[in-house]
Amino acid sequence: MKKKGAALASVLFAGVLAGCSFGAGSSSESSENATTIEIFQGKVEFNDQFEELAEKYEEENPDIDIKITSVGGGSDYAGSLKTKFASGDEPEIFSIAGPTESANYEEYLADLSDTELADLALEGTLNPVTKDGELHGLPFNQEGYGLIYNKDMFKEAGIDPSEILTYEDLENAVQTLDSQKDELGIEAVFAFPAKEKWVPGNHLSNVYLAPEFDHMVMEAYQAEDVQFERNKEYKRMIDLQNDYSIQPTLSLDYSQQVEQYFSLQEVAIIQQGNWVYPSVEQMDPDFAKEGMGILPIPVEGEEGKLPVGVPNYWAVNNNSDDETVQAAKDFLDWMYTSDVGKDYVLNEFNFIPAYEGYNTDEISDPLSKEIYQYASENQTTGWVFLGYPGTWGDYVGSNVQKYIDGEMTWDKLVKDSKQEWTKMDQ
Amino acid sequence: MSNRSPWFWLFLSPVVLSLLLVVVVPFVYGFLFSFTDWNGLVANSFVGFQNYVQLFQEAEFLNSIWFTVKFAVVTVLLLNAMGLGLGLALLVTRSIRSNNWLRTIFFMPNLIGGLILGFIWQFIFINVFSDIGNRIGSEALQGWLSTTSTGFWGLVILTAWQMAGYIMIIYIAYLENIPKELIEAAKIDGASSVQRFKNITFPLVAPAFTVSMFLTLSMGFKIYDQNLSLTNGGPFNSTQMVAMEIVRTAFSDNEMAYAQAKAVIFFLIVAVIALTQVFYNKKREVEM
Repeated sequence: MKKKGAALASVLFAGVLAGCSFGAGSSSESSENATTIEIFQGKVEFNDQFEELAEKYEEENPDIDIKITSVGGGSDYAGSLKTKFASGDEPEIFSIAGPTESANYEEYLADLSDTELADLALEGTLNPVTKDGELHGLPFNQEGYGLIYNKDMFKEAGIDPSEILTYEDLENAVQTLDSQKDELGIEAVFAFPAKEKWVPGNHLSNVYLAPEFDHMVMEAYQAEDVQFERNKEYKRMIDLQNDYSIQPTLSLDYSQQVEQYFSLQEVAIIQQGNWVYPSVEQMDPDFAKEGMGILPIPVEGEEGKLPVGVPNYWAVNNNSDDETVQAAKDFLDWMYTSDVGKDYVLNEFNFIPAYEGYNTDEISDPLSKEIYQYASENQTTGWVFLGYPGTWGDYVGSNVQKYIDGEMTWDKLVKDSKQEWTKMDQ
Repeated sequence: MSNRSPWFWLFLSPVVLSLLLVVVVPFVYGFLFSFTDWNGLVANSFVGFQNYVQLFQEAEFLNSIWFTVKFAVVTVLLLNAMGLGLGLALLVTRSIRSNNWLRTIFFMPNLIGGLILGFIWQFIFINVFSDIGNRIGSEALQGWLSTTSTGFWGLVILTAWQMAGYIMIIYIAYLENIPKELIEAAKIDGASSVQRFKNITFPLVAPAFTVSMFLTLSMGFKIYDQNLSLTNGGPFNSTQMVAMEIVRTAFSDNEMAYAQAKAVIFFLIVAVIALTQVFYNKKREVEM
């Protein structure tokens, strides 16, 4: 009796466990002998379109089965990827963001220098993921940020955006806008989301630190310390945005900035990038298509240049057999070089391509188009913040919050942030 | 236990196994990992107590503990006062027809998830408060959640609003169980209402205190989602509670083992406080 019971228990329990694993694995319909490529990536915005494209590839190549898992942005993704690897359920293709993450996964990264894309990638985009002659990643796309402004308001206030180059120009424009707040029907000139540490901490600090590191991510990544030479310029830009912003900035977040204040045309300028386009489009499609322009954040000696960079790279896991690695590479090549793939990249993913051979007139959203313009004219500065040590960007963002709150003086902020760089770099 | 039938173990096994798998095993693992330099992928070496030494020197972690303690003390007092208060009020007004309806309403906030609540209250604190402030010309209602103290009180208000109904239900259950004869006898003996509350009602709801104190204490310490969605630790991480600090250390700073060490310390603090509290409150309880 005892034995019988135990056996029954184990059968029942096995059933429970098996039920779990069946439940989890049933999402893909795979044909037999298929090579399965599991893709794990963090850009949820284009998940549906990406799946569609993968299905098209499966139709062309019946022996390939592609499974896509997209996990929400930011730290969420990094954590989940780690769990995947720790549990042994490793994806074949995954995304990494710049040299810090690439160093974390170094032992898993296959050399991609024999792919077609390696030759087609735009100049400079591969530097952050090249190590000892091996290429560890292929760019997703390009992104750029700056000061996104409301075209109509600028026109109404009599400001010509093409004439804004230096900080002084910008300051004048801001004061003009501020003096006409009532006529323009705005609450303030800026919406400065100081609550989001990455806005001042990563993006804004980047434009003032990029010259120091020759616009090279790797320079920043390898630097043992930071000079912060242009901290005075950084300060006056924070002051300008903060003084002329909706108050209080310390509780103003990204969605209020983009959706509430900018999309509803309650402010004239925000510091953001082309990724705001879908949100603005959801709020007001006409405004999104016609009403937005982008200006570079003025930096002395670097006027008229926009920070453009590659936020994410595709990496291939070398921990699978050669055939699978090759299949993964083939898929990536196909995605960015075939006609179907190109069409999807431009029109469905709304990517700014980081590869040659695209008809860029087809870029549909105006912000991306403008950014691509800057990129193709080489009027860009680097995204060195991807090479900041650890979470230094957040740390600076937190210090900026203290500065705005009056808890920390600017000199203290500079000194403290410099020390933290050296500490985190160890 | 040994003479129990196999059926006993059969029906117990799913619970025991899942408890082992999802609570005990990870706990032991985590404890072990806190002595290494584990980064989430590999543990290279055994570092002894280094993580523990380091965490007691980290200002941010200590700040978050202090903030959490303050928060827990205030919410425990407030929640129990409100829970008991609401419970008594509803008992006294039992004859009102809307009584049951009111109970449901007070309990309802507890059914909304913490994340959503955080976002709802964020809107209330930032937009509604400042609009009201503008109308009545009050400075005090402006700029909520942009300073440490408004962030703190914002969290307290949110938690009180969410949990008071739940605690109220516990108190009501005990209050209703107090025998009417006792109250009546006391009344006949000429005890005033204050005396009746102090000498009869209060001692008899002591078990409810034990339960509620335990619940509110452990919740006050472990709160995470409300914290995340309401203030996200801002401004400058000053409203960051321990749970959030640990998650950040683990997943943003990528220091898994160090975060695990913090979690072990956190566990010890919560366990010691909660158990001491239960021990003393148990002693106070009276048997009828």
